[in-house]
Amino acid sequence: MLGLFGTLNLASRSLQTQRNGTEVAGHNIANVNTPGYSRQRVALETSITIPSEIGPEGTGADAVAINQLRDILLDRQLVGETSVRGALESKQKALEFAQAALGQVIDRQSSGAEGAAASSGVGGQHGMAEELAGLFAAFQSLSTNPTSMAERQVLLLKAQNLAGQFNQLSGRFDDLRGSLNESLGGDVAQANIALADIAKLNQQILAAEIGGQGKANDLRDTRQKRIEDLAKLVKVDTTANPNGSVDIAIDGVALVTGPNVLDQLETFDAGGGQFLVRTLTGGATLNLTGGSLQGTIDARDTDLAALRSHIDTLAAALITQVNALHANGYGLSGGTGQKFFTGTNASDIAVTDALVNDPGAIQASGVAGAVGDNSVAVALAQLAEQSLPALSNQTLLQHYSQTVTQLGQALNGTNTQLTNQQIVERMLLRQRDSISGVSLDEEMTDLVKFQRAFEASARLITTVDDMLETVVNLKR
Amino acid sequence: MRVTSHTFPNSLLDELTSLAQRQNKLQNQAATGQLVELPEDDPVAMRRVLDMQGESRAVSQYQRNIARHQELATASFSVIKGLKKISDRIREIAIAADGLKSQDELNIYAKEVTELIKQAVQAVNSKNRGDYIFSGTLSDQPAYSSVTDANGNVTSVSYQGNATLAESEIASGVTMTAQVLGESTSGTGPRGLITDSRSGADFFNHLISLQNNLLSGNVAAIENTDRANLELDENNFLIQIGGNGAIQSRLEATNALAGQRKETLEALVSKEADADLTQTIVRLSQTQTAYQAALQSAGRILSSSLLDYLR
Repeated sequence: MLGLFGTLNLASRSLQTQRNGTEVAGHNIANVNTPGYSRQRVALETSITIPSEIGPEGTGADAVAINQLRDILLDRQLVGETSVRGALESKQKALEFAQAALGQVIDRQSSGAEGAAASSGVGGQHGMAEELAGLFAAFQSLSTNPTSMAERQVLLLKAQNLAGQFNQLSGRFDDLRGSLNESLGGDVAQANIALADIAKLNQQILAAEIGGQGKANDLRDTRQKRIEDLAKLVKVDTTANPNGSVDIAIDGVALVTGPNVLDQLETFDAGGGQFLVRTLTGGATLNLTGGSLQGTIDARDTDLAALRSHIDTLAAALITQVNALHANGYGLSGGTGQKFFTGTNASDIAVTDALVNDPGAIQASGVAGAVGDNSVAVALAQLAEQSLPALSNQTLLQHYSQTVTQLGQALNGTNTQLTNQQIVERMLLRQRDSISGVSLDEEMTDLVKFQRAFEASARLITTVDDMLETVVNLKR
Repeated sequence: MRVTSHTFPNSLLDELTSLAQRQNKLQNQAATGQLVELPEDDPVAMRRVLDMQGESRAVSQYQRNIARHQELATASFSVIKGLKKISDRIREIAIAADGLKSQDELNIYAKEVTELIKQAVQAVNSKNRGDYIFSGTLSDQPAYSSVTDANGNVTSVSYQGNATLAESEIASGVTMTAQVLGESTSGTGPRGLITDSRSGADFFNHLISLQNNLLSGNVAAIENTDRANLELDENNFLIQIGGNGAIQSRLEATNALAGQRKETLEALVSKEADADLTQTIVRLSQTQTAYQAALQSAGRILSSSLLDYLR
């Protein structure tokens, strides 16, 4: 038997319990837009029963815990998928930069199959394909009129354009590599901050949960958010400890254990500007398998490196082949043995100064003294159609087209992968949202529910109060 | 599936983003008329288009080469035509100079022949774009130089060019030239215009012989040798005129072929790279409709909530 005072006590505890309910609903409403927040529920239980002559009697309800609705498996999966997306996004970004640096587009606005280069005049063209074709067209024109100064001037201009284009491309690739290395540094700095944050949150969670009085829900939300931030930068392995802390390791190297940061990340030059990631104190080079750091390194060391070496190979082949033919020819004043191009690769290719100063020195003739001879010019023009062993038996233009195609394929593949990855991640996020997300409708109905129960509990108090008054007034 | 407060806005955002991307892509295709612009759009088509554009540029260059050859052929033809006229007049003189003419008359003929020789030398030393046409590859040298004696009579005319011609491409791997040699004495290779060992032509020496025979009144030599020799020269000119015509028609045919090839390439490139405008516009308006529908339905869903019905 509770008795009237017992019932009054029950009503007052009920008021408190229902207020707890509105508090939690209010917290949920307040955090409806907080990233990483998962909804909380107050756990209600009936209070202990007391024996009575009519059997065990209930003593109301108590709020025993505030629980978080979270799916650990889903969280873990999302951390993994975030790393994949991070890698793909940074790879896509790097390849898009490379595509822009290469500057090869198809422009069909001007009439004719050859597009922008339809105009036969000098200049007004862009992209390496146009410049290459322009050089060989100039060799052809020279072959039809080997003594013409005008044709020689045009040839020099085309050759200089092409050399300039090579130099520019090489410079842009250098810049791109530099900025990718810089972005590695930026990502590493962010990852270190995230590692420190996670360790600090571990510490706070341990402190909050030490009494065993429930879980530090909001701190755990924040930590999960930070782990996902970190996973976007670099793929991590997480281990949840029974005491509530989470350990972080990258490539098997423990970086955070409980409240302690064991080691940090840094970038270092592995030689030739190839920046990689290693641990700061341990000094172990990390083999990254996901995250934007890995994506950047991957793009830089595979597709961009290939692109760069292909352009260099192309320039080298052009220099060697043109020079070999040109050196055997004779200029208008009989000069011979002159190189057409100087340099060895895309970065330093240039037209020989002596030719620039005196177009007559271009060695178009194959016979000493016969200025009207064009055999060298014809051979140079025919070089355009020649399959070169140095370029895997492709012509210069084919080799360039293949280079463009390879980059296009890499970027196209990355785009597709990223789209697929986004779909996967979106589905997982939707799933998580359906479990952990706050629904305002639910919270509103909860509020109404708790409000009504609160009102009823208050009514219980006034009822018991009336009853007590009745009891007190029994004797007048 | 449980629907939360973020489900609608998030999926709306996803939908709108992908629809906006689609719209942007289609709008770009409609504006440029191209399906493929960047290597990432379609790498394989990009490769084919680059290769075909390369070929098309090469074909255009071959056409420019052909135009240059045609120009040279026309220039050569007008010279050959001029020489043929001179040859015709010379033959008239050779026939007119018979035994009935007095030495004075013969001298006048001789004078005319001398002038015609000089005129012919001048003609074969024609230039095109600064190059001597008939000197072979020694195109900085006049093809012929003549020597005259104190009386102004031509004593010799000698060839200063060589026997090589500069051929250049008119199609991939196909070289030719519209240039004609002044002299060919080897019996092989291109024929000479003035002197050719195969046809027996030796125009200038035959003219000089005629001039000298006229001066010396050796009418018999004119009748017996010069007339026959001049016949050889005349035939050689006819061979050259025929050859020139053959070259011109070959250039014409090659140029037409190149034009056809370019049209084919244009069609192929168009197939790879161009957008079907009708299809693009239809798809664009479809996407726009979907975009508007998404906005409208979302506007309705997002604007109502339980809060509207609670006091």
